[in-house]
Amino acid sequence: MKANHIQHLYRRVGFGILPTALQNVSTKSKKQIVDDLIKASKDSTKLEVDISEIKDIVGGLMMSGSKLDADTRRKIQKISRQKQLELNVSWINRLANSSEVLREKMTLFWANHFVCEDNSIVYIQQFNNTLREHALGNFGDFVKAISKEAAMTKYLNTKQNRKQKPNENFARELMELFTLGEGHYTEEDIKESARAFTGYSHNLRGEFVFRKRQHDYTDKTFFEKTGNFTGEDVIDIILEKRQCAKYICTKIYRYFVNDAVSETHVNEMTDIFFKDYNIENLMQFVFTSNWFYDEKNIGSKIKSPVEFLVGLKYTVPVMFKNSRQVLQIQRLLGQTLLDPPNVAGWKGGRNWIDSNTIVLRLKLPSLLLNNAYISNVKNGNEDGFMDTNKEEFKKKYGRRFNTETDWNYFEKHFKNVLLQDMDSHILACPVNEDAKTYLQSLAKVSKQEYCIQLMSLPEYQMC
Amino acid sequence: MDRRKFLKQSSLASSLFFVPSFVRAFEEVAANKLGYKRLVIIQLSGGNDGLNTVVPFRNDLYYKERPTIGLAQNDIIKLNDEVGLNASLAPLKRLYDKGYVSIINNVGYPNPIRSHFRSMDIWQTASDSNQYSQSGWIGRYLDTYGKDPHSAIEIDDSLSLAMKGERMNAIATKDPKIMYNLSKGPYLKNINKHLKDKHLSEHNLGYLYKSMIAAESSAKYIYETSKTVTSKKEYPKNKFGKQMKTTAQLINSHVQTKVYYTSLGGFDTHVNQKATQKRLLNMYAESVEAFVEDLKANNTFKDTLILTFSEFGRRVKQNASVGTDHGTANNVFIIGENLKSQGLYNNMASLSDLDDNGDLKFEIDFRTIYATVLDKWLEVDDKKVLNKSFSQLNFI
Repeated sequence: MKANHIQHLYRRVGFGILPTALQNVSTKSKKQIVDDLIKASKDSTKLEVDISEIKDIVGGLMMSGSKLDADTRRKIQKISRQKQLELNVSWINRLANSSEVLREKMTLFWANHFVCEDNSIVYIQQFNNTLREHALGNFGDFVKAISKEAAMTKYLNTKQNRKQKPNENFARELMELFTLGEGHYTEEDIKESARAFTGYSHNLRGEFVFRKRQHDYTDKTFFEKTGNFTGEDVIDIILEKRQCAKYICTKIYRYFVNDAVSETHVNEMTDIFFKDYNIENLMQFVFTSNWFYDEKNIGSKIKSPVEFLVGLKYTVPVMFKNSRQVLQIQRLLGQTLLDPPNVAGWKGGRNWIDSNTIVLRLKLPSLLLNNAYISNVKNGNEDGFMDTNKEEFKKKYGRRFNTETDWNYFEKHFKNVLLQDMDSHILACPVNEDAKTYLQSLAKVSKQEYCIQLMSLPEYQMC
Repeated sequence: MDRRKFLKQSSLASSLFFVPSFVRAFEEVAANKLGYKRLVIIQLSGGNDGLNTVVPFRNDLYYKERPTIGLAQNDIIKLNDEVGLNASLAPLKRLYDKGYVSIINNVGYPNPIRSHFRSMDIWQTASDSNQYSQSGWIGRYLDTYGKDPHSAIEIDDSLSLAMKGERMNAIATKDPKIMYNLSKGPYLKNINKHLKDKHLSEHNLGYLYKSMIAAESSAKYIYETSKTVTSKKEYPKNKFGKQMKTTAQLINSHVQTKVYYTSLGGFDTHVNQKATQKRLLNMYAESVEAFVEDLKANNTFKDTLILTFSEFGRRVKQNASVGTDHGTANNVFIIGENLKSQGLYNNMASLSDLDDNGDLKFEIDFRTIYATVLDKWLEVDDKKVLNKSFSQLNFI
C-alpha cells in the first residue's frame, strides 16, 4: 500500500502514524492493514477513574434505604467535579496511547452523535464506556443501550416521562438527532413514541430501572403501525427505515471521509449498513473502498481541537504538570470533552475556526513543545541565540503552560526520516506555495525545530 | 445577490480591482452614515433571581413564599410605593434617578426551559425553545451587517454562541495586548508577509489562511487603535470591573465596533442566596456606574446602549436550603442616555397566577427586545437577523 495512503488511513482511523510504524506496515496490502486495524479493536477496554468513594456513599444509602440529603449530595457533587476533570484527562491520554485505535476514534465520533452530559461522574463514566462498548457493534443494540443510560434519561428527561404527563424530549431527539434526521417524522410520531418510553428511569448506582406504574401500556400509532409498543419496539420500527441507515452513513462520511458528501458513496455505504446495522462492517467497507483514497479526500478536513491536541501528543509526547491546563486548552480551542455545547453536539468543520482559535492553534505547538520558540533564522546562518532565546521564553511563558516534552521519543521514531521528507510525516496536505518559499528561505536547524515550524502552519490544522 | 454581499464576497476573493472605486467610496459613506451607535450586552450567568433584584415589597404573597430570603424594607431602595431595588444596587439607583434606566419586567419566552445551558442557548440564539440553532443573534447580525470580525467583540477568552454567525464570527479578547502578542511573532508575521497570492482557494485550507490573516489584522487594529487610550476612571477591582474597564477603553478609543459582550457569573443561588446575590449585584452595579461615568466623561455615553439579561429567573417559592431553584421569566435592564421610557417599563409579574411548576408566566418575549434594539438602535432589519418578525417595544 502506498505510504501516503497509509498515512491518510491512520489520520482518519486514529491520529496519524509515526515513521517507524509506517515502515512496519508499508509492505502490507490495504485489506491486510484495515483488517489488522479492526482486529486490534476487537476488545473494548473501559476508561475508568477511581470512583470508589462515591460508590461507597451511594452503596451505604441504598443499603439503609435512606434518602440523599443535601449535605451528602453536595459532597458527592464536589468529588464528582474533580473526577470529571480526571476522566477528561484520562480520555485525552487514552486517545493518544491506545492500541484500540479505531474503537477509540469511533467512541469520540459517537460521543458527538449520542450527545450527553451529566454532573455525576458515576453516570457519565458509565455512559462513556457504553459508547466505547458499542462503538463497532450493532447500531440497533447501541441505540437501545443509550436509551437506557442513566445520564441520558436525565439529560433528555425520559426520567420525567410519565404516563399521566409525557415528556417528549427524548423521543424528539431520538429521531431528529440520533436516527433519522429532521423532517423524516411527524409531531404525531413524536407524541406517540414518547408514550412508549414512559417509565424509563435509573437508581443511584446508575442502573436502568423500568417503573411499570409510570409506563403507558395503551396502544400507540407510530409510523403507520399500531400496537402496545415499548421503547425497544419503537427503535426497531425506526431501524426498518432505510433513512436511518442513510442518516448514520452520511454522518460517518462527513466525519471520516469529507465534509462535502458524495451521494453515490453514501448510497453504497447505506446498502451495506441497512442490511444488518453492523458498524464494524460499515467501517471496513469505507476504509477498503477506492474512493476513500481519492486525492480530494486526503488532507481535506479541519482537525477538531481534540484531534489537534491528541495528534500533537502522538508525535511528541507532552505531559501537563497541571492537569487543569489540559482542560483549559480544550476550552480555549472550543471543544471540552464531556462538556458538549448542546444535544446537537459540536458542529465541526469550519466552525472550529475563529480568529481566536486559529491564532492559538498556530501558536500552541511552539508554546507546548518548544518553550514558545519558533526558529526563523535565514538560510546559511546558524541559530546562535536559540538556547538563550528558549531560556528567556521559558521564563516568560513557562507559567502559562507548564509541560514536559519527550523529544527523545520523537527523535527515535524520526531517526530514519530525512529532514527534507519531514513535511509528508507532519502535514496531511501540500504547503501553500508562498509559505513554502518562506519556509525554504529559513535555515534547517534541526528536525525538532523544523517540526515546530511545520506544526505552526495552517496546513498542520488539516487531516 | 444584493450589492453589499457582492462587495463582501468579491473583496474576500480579493478582486477589488473589478469594483470601481466610486462604488467602494459609496459603500464607505453608507457604512459611516450608520453612525457609531454601540450596544453593550451584559450577561448575568447562572439565573439571577429577578424577584430579589426588583422587589414587589407590598405583595404579601412575596413574603409568604419567601419567609427567610424575602427582602425586608431596609434591604430595599424604593422605586415607588410598591417596587424597590435590592439595596446592593444603590449605584444603579443613582443612574435610575437620572433617567438612564428602563426596567422591563417579566421577560421570557414560550415553553420555558429550566436548564442553564439550554435556556442560555435560547437567549443567545433567539430561537424558539424547541429549536436548536447553531448561530447567535449577534453572529447573524455580523453575517449581514458586520464589516470586520471586530465589528463585535466579546471581552472574554472564548466566544459565546451569541457571537457566532453562519459565516462570520466576532472577536473574543480579554486583553487586546495579549491577543496582539499572540498573533504577532516573527515567524507568523513573515508567513503573512510572504502571502503574495491572495487568491486563496475556497477550500478548507484557504479558509484557514483567510482566518489567520483576518485575525492578525483585527488583533493589530484593535490593539493599535486602543493602546493610547487609558481609562482614568476607577473601576471595582474584580473580573467584571476589569471587563467593563476594557470595554470603556475600546469604546473611548473609537474602535469601530458595534457590539460588546461581557458577562458576570455565579448567580445560581440554590443555597444561602442572600449574601451571594448581594455581593454579585453590588459588583454589577458599581462597575456599571463607573462605566457610565467613564463614557460620559468621554462623550460616548449618548451613543451607547447597555442591555442586561440572565438566562432565567428563579422560582417564586424559596427552597429548603435558603435559596431558590431555576424558574422562568425575569427582568431585563436597559441603560442609556436618551431612553423613551425611563423607569419601570411595565408592571411586575403576577405572583398568584403561576404555571404548573410555580413559576412566573412571562409577559414580554425577549426577542421583542432584540427586535427593538436591532431596528431602532443598530438600525438594521431585525427580521433578517431574527429570521422572524417580532412586535417591538417602546423603550428607545
